[in-house]
Amino acid sequence: MLALNRLDTTRIIATPAALDAAAYTKDAVVIRIAPDEALVIPAQPDLTVADEHAIVLQDSAWSGVWVSPEKAADILERHCEWEAPAALPAQAQGAVAGIPTKFYFDTDRVLVVIPSPYQREFEHRI
Amino acid sequence: MRLIVDGTPIPYQPGDKLLTAMLRNNIHPTGGGCLCTGGDCPHCLATVDGVSYVRTCQVHASPGMIVARDHTAGYPPLPEGNVYPEEVASRNLHCDVAVIGQGESGQAAATTAMAAGKKVITLDVDQGQEAIGIYNGPLVVARANGEMWYIHVKEEVIVATGAAEIHPVAPGNGLAGIYTARAAENLARAGIDLGKVISVGTAPNYVWHEHVSGRIMRFEGTDGKVSSVVVNDGATDQTYACDSVVVGLGFHPRDALRRMGHDLPVRAVGDAARESDIPPCPLAGTVCTCSGIGVEELDYIWDHGFHEMELVKRGTLAGTGTCQGSVCLPHLRSYLQDRGQELQPPFTARPLTRQVTLGEISAGAHHHAMAESALHDEHLKAGAQMERFGHWWRPWTYGDWQAEYWAVREAVSIMDVGTLGKIVVSGPDALPFLEKIYPTDIASIRTGRSRYVLLLDERGFVMDDGLVCKESDTRYILSLTSGGSSHSEMWLRDWAASGPYDVRIINQTMSLGAINVTGPYTNELLKRAGLEKPMRFMRHGKATIAGVDCHVFRLSFTGETSYELHHPLKDSVKLWRALLDLGQDLGIKPHGLEALTRLRLEKGHIIIGQDTDLDSTPRRIHHDWMVKMNKGADFIGRQALLRTNAIELDKMLVGFEMDTREEPNEGDTIWVGEEYVGYITSRTYSPILDKSVMLGWLFYQDGELPTDVTIKGRPAKRVDVPFYDKEAARARA
Repeated sequence: MLALNRLDTTRIIATPAALDAAAYTKDAVVIRIAPDEALVIPAQPDLTVADEHAIVLQDSAWSGVWVSPEKAADILERHCEWEAPAALPAQAQGAVAGIPTKFYFDTDRVLVVIPSPYQREFEHRI
Repeated sequence: MRLIVDGTPIPYQPGDKLLTAMLRNNIHPTGGGCLCTGGDCPHCLATVDGVSYVRTCQVHASPGMIVARDHTAGYPPLPEGNVYPEEVASRNLHCDVAVIGQGESGQAAATTAMAAGKKVITLDVDQGQEAIGIYNGPLVVARANGEMWYIHVKEEVIVATGAAEIHPVAPGNGLAGIYTARAAENLARAGIDLGKVISVGTAPNYVWHEHVSGRIMRFEGTDGKVSSVVVNDGATDQTYACDSVVVGLGFHPRDALRRMGHDLPVRAVGDAARESDIPPCPLAGTVCTCSGIGVEELDYIWDHGFHEMELVKRGTLAGTGTCQGSVCLPHLRSYLQDRGQELQPPFTARPLTRQVTLGEISAGAHHHAMAESALHDEHLKAGAQMERFGHWWRPWTYGDWQAEYWAVREAVSIMDVGTLGKIVVSGPDALPFLEKIYPTDIASIRTGRSRYVLLLDERGFVMDDGLVCKESDTRYILSLTSGGSSHSEMWLRDWAASGPYDVRIINQTMSLGAINVTGPYTNELLKRAGLEKPMRFMRHGKATIAGVDCHVFRLSFTGETSYELHHPLKDSVKLWRALLDLGQDLGIKPHGLEALTRLRLEKGHIIIGQDTDLDSTPRRIHHDWMVKMNKGADFIGRQALLRTNAIELDKMLVGFEMDTREEPNEGDTIWVGEEYVGYITSRTYSPILDKSVMLGWLFYQDGELPTDVTIKGRPAKRVDVPFYDKEAARARA
């Protein structure tokens, strides 16, 4: 069974240019949910964004786990209609076992992220 | 090695297919009919290990296998009672080229594709991999050794499934002991003794037989078993006594998969791409075994004007059974060619080509996921009965809804409202954008204030309701219903993208927890929790409550003093427990939806989707006071309201009272005498009023809304809402 952990994240809605230019910490994984939205792990409490109307939310409502590329491939094959991206690093998002899921494919590991309200159901289905 | 057929163990040999094993023991499938051993016909179906409709020619015998033939009415019986299918695993595979069939042409096609650098997936029925359908994509769905495979193909699907043999159509073709030539060869190779064999048409190899030429006129036999065949040699009918009849009547392509992918990159190769042999026009006998369609049915439907292949299929159901036309299609084409002097193409093929179990058909499918709030476990610990509500699990009651109700009315109570929609709109165009979205005069909302609003569609119908809360001139918080937040978010994003609006939108419904604190002792409880000064009604602001940073909203849905405390999800449990601790001596109890739906109804508050219909305008639900037609900005639905507001009202959502503790049902009809005048949308027994109160749709009668009506045989009276605390003094306290 896949056991996920609560993540401390920062969620940002801002202009694409501001998101591109933001100075994230070196260890940050930045998942661009949309051109104007980023989910950053771990949380970036000191981040400044060059958009005075940006919405920056310290968000504890995501759960995730790092898995091996082989495990990620198995999850995708069993529970997902789309194919893992070939070029790394990469990100992908869509329904996995019917639950909205985001993947960050690093070169040697893969981060699986879901909204925490679905954590129990996701673990059960996977 | 033995398997069990109809309760009797029978021996079999290594490598035997189930059909071979049965015939080796002189046991025929009870459906009768010509056997093909190629998986094409429906004549060897049986129930195997509890699974109906198994082609016994395609399944290897195994020790202890349980087989039930009872195939007496054309089909094996389906299981009785409730059957909960075993879960079947699914697998999604991706390739450039999929090749279905691994005979000579299939192997050649796969080799060619691989040599061209393509990623190829092959399906081989002899390896237990059976394609059952091709869908848009193209997507090939296959049953493969206990799993379901979903093969996503980027370039091409190649169908190399070979050809099927043509079955005989003549009276008596349902008798056992008739075989196609290929079937006879397979059985002979397996050492099955077919007795005295008469062969008609192309003769089989490896089978000792007497060959006769001519047209098969009928099969004769006793006890369901063939004993002779009558063949017309061009002049007279000749009868040949036999134990078995072997027919070699030609081939037609197994191309159902190609036909169902006719507008997709799907092509057939090898025998699957060949032209079909066309047998002589059937004169009598069963044409479609699956649906029991004989030549007389074809004559009947032809005489009634059904002259096209697709119409004949629909008119008779020939070709819609478990073999999907593999047996009848060449004969149908021959029949129509004979009658209409034109050879018609085969009918359309559609998934599935094979019967599947419920477990297989549902492999990889999921019901809509239900979300859990951060307080889910707290609710369970408190004994809550959880219900699905707006895609969330929510507490319906903690065991005693009346106690929860009275805690709200007389003490203090908390409720998990983290499921409510919470969206932030920010940006220089936030105000004009929201003016466009809402019929309310957004510009008149002052910073730190909230306003109850409706969300309308272009037709002026109510989609959702909630609050607009102003944080600054360029930033607003929107509160929406639990079930409506996702749709409303898309609605907002669509309109933001469609106009010249420089706004940022975030749906933080799942990111924030929210607890509603309500009841006459709410201010006392929150004072203890750190809110130094009570907030005024419909105000909002930031505060630290029980050590948790909250955005606090003063409002009311219950009719009592109420606050919503929005907070980071990680602090939900801490805040929930702290409030329960601090309110112990104030009589605090959590309340669930059962109590809430009654509390809100006493106040006449509507629930969108329950009390409203798809054609509910603000005027029909008596909320036209919320619409500012002349606010100086166009809004979604305004043009429609200009027109519909000029039309005389036909119905309204109104309140009813009934002097009884008996609760009518939602949906109960409303009557004036013998005339139907409406129906109930919400109802409750009101403990504090000691009567039943309701909302319902009431139709105008002669320009007036009736006052005295009958509901469930009892007199009821239309009254103004709210039913309780009409001055809202308690909510504003």
